Amino acid sequence: MFKRQVLLECAAALLIMLFLYASVSKFLDFKTFTGEMNNQPLPNSWTPFLVWFIPCSEIIISVALVAERTRLIGFYGSLVLMSLFTLYSMAILLHFFAFVPCSCGGVIKKLTWPQHLVFNLFFVTISIGGIVLQRRKYFKSIFLTNKNSFQ
Amino acid sequence: MNKIKWTFMTLAILLSIGGAFATRPRCDCFQSPQYYFNGASYNLAGQLGVQYNCWVPSANTCTYTTTDGIHFIACQNGNYQAVPNIGK
Repeated sequence: MFKRQVLLECAAALLIMLFLYASVSKFLDFKTFTGEMNNQPLPNSWTPFLVWFIPCSEIIISVALVAERTRLIGFYGSLVLMSLFTLYSMAILLHFFAFVPCSCGGVIKKLTWPQHLVFNLFFVTISIGGIVLQRRKYFKSIFLTNKNSFQ
Repeated sequence: MNKIKWTFMTLAILLSIGGAFATRPRCDCFQSPQYYFNGASYNLAGQLGVQYNCWVPSANTCTYTTTDGIHFIACQNGNYQAVPNIGK
């Protein structure tokens, strides 16, 4: 039980580090981030929406992961976001778009696209692991509550 | 348990925000106007993603910056590609 809780805290802490680091880096260098978003093979009309949506959703997920009550939502949110990033990396590696753009976000931009894919898959796995552990903990607490109420 | 939890969370928050500030680009050439080299002279490139793109991976220099209009310093990596007027 203790071991599982430590694993859960580690998974949440790793995801918080990733999302907070990525979002703060984007806000600290917002002009570059906007330029890099324009450089992506997506319509430029999406840029004003994406430059706010991506870092803000990263901060919201980080906050959700800190609190015990909202942690499961945070894990689901991180799974959705990381899966979207993974699909995007795959699409770029499969030359789905006309050109290969730069990758963005602090020192993460130093990664090549194949490294980016492995990096994203690692965090997708962490999110899935977090969901499994958190759900198990949640159902266990419901089971214990019901068991105690019947006694 | 609560002690361990808050130690993890505090460390994660402090490390991520501190890391973001520590790896922030200090000399940000991107803030200055960008120029591309056409083989003979340096020309204003415009806005990234709107007037031009930098294709990667490439060891080439995509754009340059200048402070005096004479000396140009490499800024972005990639292959320079002008975007047609119709845009993306």
